[in-house]
Amino acid sequence: MVSRGKLTKKDIDKVGYLSVFEQCCFSFERMQAPGFCWAMVDAFEKIYPDNPEEVSRAMHDNLEFMNTEPHFASFLQGLVISMEESGQDPELIRGVKNGLFGPLAGLGDAIFWYTLMPLTASICCSLASNGSVLGPILFIAIWIVGGLSRVWFTRWGYNLGVDAVKFIGEQSAALTKAAGILGVTVVGGLIPSYVSFAFAEDLVVGTVSIQGIFDSIMPNILPFGLVLGLYYLFKKKNINTISLILIVIVLSCIFSILGIM
Amino acid sequence: MQITLIQGILISLVVFLCACDKHMEVFMWFRPLTVSFLTGLCLGNVQIGLQAGAVTELAYLGLLTVGGTVPPDPLLAGLMTTVLSYTTGNDVATSMGMAVTFALVGQWIGMATNTLYAGFIPTFEKAADNHDGKTMGTWVIGGIVIYAAAYAIVAFLCTYAFQNGIVAFVNSFPEWLVNGFNIAGGLMPAVGLALLLVVMLKADNFAYLILGFVLVNITNCDNILPIALIAAVLAFISYQRDVQISKLTALKGSEGDEEDGI
Repeated sequence: MVSRGKLTKKDIDKVGYLSVFEQCCFSFERMQAPGFCWAMVDAFEKIYPDNPEEVSRAMHDNLEFMNTEPHFASFLQGLVISMEESGQDPELIRGVKNGLFGPLAGLGDAIFWYTLMPLTASICCSLASNGSVLGPILFIAIWIVGGLSRVWFTRWGYNLGVDAVKFIGEQSAALTKAAGILGVTVVGGLIPSYVSFAFAEDLVVGTVSIQGIFDSIMPNILPFGLVLGLYYLFKKKNINTISLILIVIVLSCIFSILGIM
Repeated sequence: MQITLIQGILISLVVFLCACDKHMEVFMWFRPLTVSFLTGLCLGNVQIGLQAGAVTELAYLGLLTVGGTVPPDPLLAGLMTTVLSYTTGNDVATSMGMAVTFALVGQWIGMATNTLYAGFIPTFEKAADNHDGKTMGTWVIGGIVIYAAAYAIVAFLCTYAFQNGIVAFVNSFPEWLVNGFNIAGGLMPAVGLALLLVVMLKADNFAYLILGFVLVNITNCDNILPIALIAAVLAFISYQRDVQISKLTALKGSEGDEEDGI
């Protein structure tokens, strides 16, 4: 049995609170490494009180390239201090950390950035566009909880310790897939309400209005087609974000000059 | 309407705070919904802030920092959409189209600082040699201050110092262009949604995109929450099934091993 008990609950929570700085000094070279490492320095000092060389070694190990989703960075920090505390081989710790940050980034992005953020934003947006201050206030409140949840992610990583590897192996594929289903359904639902793309009523061919023809095929078919079209341009034609926005603006100006919208 | 010096300073302070959060991505204060609301408060016109926030948030929904890329900046987009509606009197959708330029300025700030911080690395390495957490902390926090200060300065210049020039420039736009920006305001959420799909959409969940779209069409429900709950139920079913399958596979695998052993 390896010795534990060098870190108190307070020490672990401190790593959790400091983990909000994880993304600071994000550079193209090491990405999130500086903030990731800094949050754990005090914990390393507690784990190796009489051994500054080990603190140095642990700091260097955690200054290596790091790029993951912020919430799961807090999780990884909990995991790293847990493994350091229980005296695991430094090479194993590095291996676990470097092996996990990629899959965790995928999992975290799917859950937080592609599902929860758009979902909360769109609910709060519909409140705000009806003129209610509750929209932004609710959004701020939800994400104060979301931000502080990082302490909980750190505790979780700490408690799992090396078991995290097994847990992530079993769960991450299923969780990522489930988040994808939730996110994609919501995006499908957002298209009709948030994309306004309809031709003017008086744009007619003979006696039938053009928009009427589209509506009789399927309501909101134009917004749906536009989203898929832009998706296609980005994914298959590698057209970047700025160009997509410019394409939309140019298209809009053409519609404006032709006076058909 | 004119922006006063006091309002300009208040806005810069708000932008400073929001930019700190943008650097950390913790509380979502850098999202247009929050930025525009706070800017509206500074300008004494909350309604403009709410409308601008809602429109811009949706357009920049999928423009996320993923895998270390720097997208057009939602913070300055939210700020300038609100400010342009206030100063030029154009409606928020039109202003959002015009504010794209400023979103690109924000993107340059991000790329510049990401390059600058690479220069901090030797200092961090040295701090690690000396097991010196304090120096490391000073530079990490210093990094946020540099980033947020850059944003605050840009915000002050765009909203207060250069406001007359910007307003005069916008007012010189011909009508077809203003109208074009208005149409673009309605179409731009499609960019945000398409970018969300780039990461999430797979061959095996394409059917769910159609499901969500058709559900809203037939219910005419403007509120996304009921749709999201249905989606959550389906996601839960999929998750449970996948976990069961992986358990069964593991079970079958271990039985196979035993037979081999015998």
